[in-house]
Amino acid sequence: MKVEGYLFVLVAAFFAVADVVYWFWSKDPTGTTALGLSVGLAVLVGFYLLFTGRRTEPRPEDDSEGEIEEGAGEYGFYSPHSWWPAFTATSAAVLSVGLIIGWWLFLIGAMCLLLSAIGFVFEYYRGHFSH
Amino acid sequence: MADVATATAIDVSPPERAQRPNIVRVGTIIWLSSEVMFFAALFAMYFTIRSVQIGAGAPWPPIHLDVPYDTVITIDLVLSSVTCQFAVFAAERGDVRKVRLWILVTFLMGAAFVGAQAYEYTTLILHEGLTMGSSAFGSVFYITTGFHGMHVTGGLIAFLFLLGRTYAAKRYTHEQATSAVVVSYYWHFVDVVWIGLFTTIFLIQ
Repeated sequence: MKVEGYLFVLVAAFFAVADVVYWFWSKDPTGTTALGLSVGLAVLVGFYLLFTGRRTEPRPEDDSEGEIEEGAGEYGFYSPHSWWPAFTATSAAVLSVGLIIGWWLFLIGAMCLLLSAIGFVFEYYRGHFSH
Repeated sequence: MADVATATAIDVSPPERAQRPNIVRVGTIIWLSSEVMFFAALFAMYFTIRSVQIGAGAPWPPIHLDVPYDTVITIDLVLSSVTCQFAVFAAERGDVRKVRLWILVTFLMGAAFVGAQAYEYTTLILHEGLTMGSSAFGSVFYITTGFHGMHVTGGLIAFLFLLGRTYAAKRYTHEQATSAVVVSYYWHFVDVVWIGLFTTIFLIQ
């Protein structure tokens, strides 16, 4: 995963240079802060990819002679079908609208959000799927 | 001699399973990098209003901030990151009892942080008269530390979910370990953001 990691490090280096130039040119704290934390954005992903890449074996993608079928295997768990994201998003929307309309709606939204988050987190731990 | 069909021997053994970084962990890091930009907006707001206020000759901060008090709660939050990491080490060993213990310790330390912050807010409102609308400093102070406090509270709820999952699963597997690891990523992130906020608001002022 070196290539992906270095790509993000390169982005971080670009933001760092741009940040210094921007500060001396404009003395604007807003943009300087935003650019400074953009370095953080890229460094976080870049560091993680390089760090993880060193701890795991090279993937088929990393091998220039790699074949498609070498990529077979488990990619992770993907929920085949779930209503919970929709409930969670709706609850979050009610909660946000509640900030404008009134505290009573905000509290209803917060309760709904908590319940749908519980449903979301424990969906594959209950009933038919319990393991 | 009759023609015979020939076949070259081909290796039919399945290829070795490709080892990949855990998709949940990678996804969490990508999401956290977007959270960095959310706090970037808050920091940018803070520095902009600070420079405008100081340029206009207004005092910054207009009130007395209790730096030792906040130093103590900062140390509490940093130490809770350490205990959270102990939970991750236990999760990687598959020691579910130690996971529960360290998560509980981390939860209590995080709850202490939120409680201490709520107490600080009441002191500032009642004794210093600092509210959202009282001054520009009040606005940025409550918005930045408040959004951070909401993130800490979200982390506390995540710890409860994590504990719930260790009880809900019949067997402790890598799946639960992954939950522990990604919640710890989030907790470390929230910790680092607080160190940034503490440094800018309380130390640099």
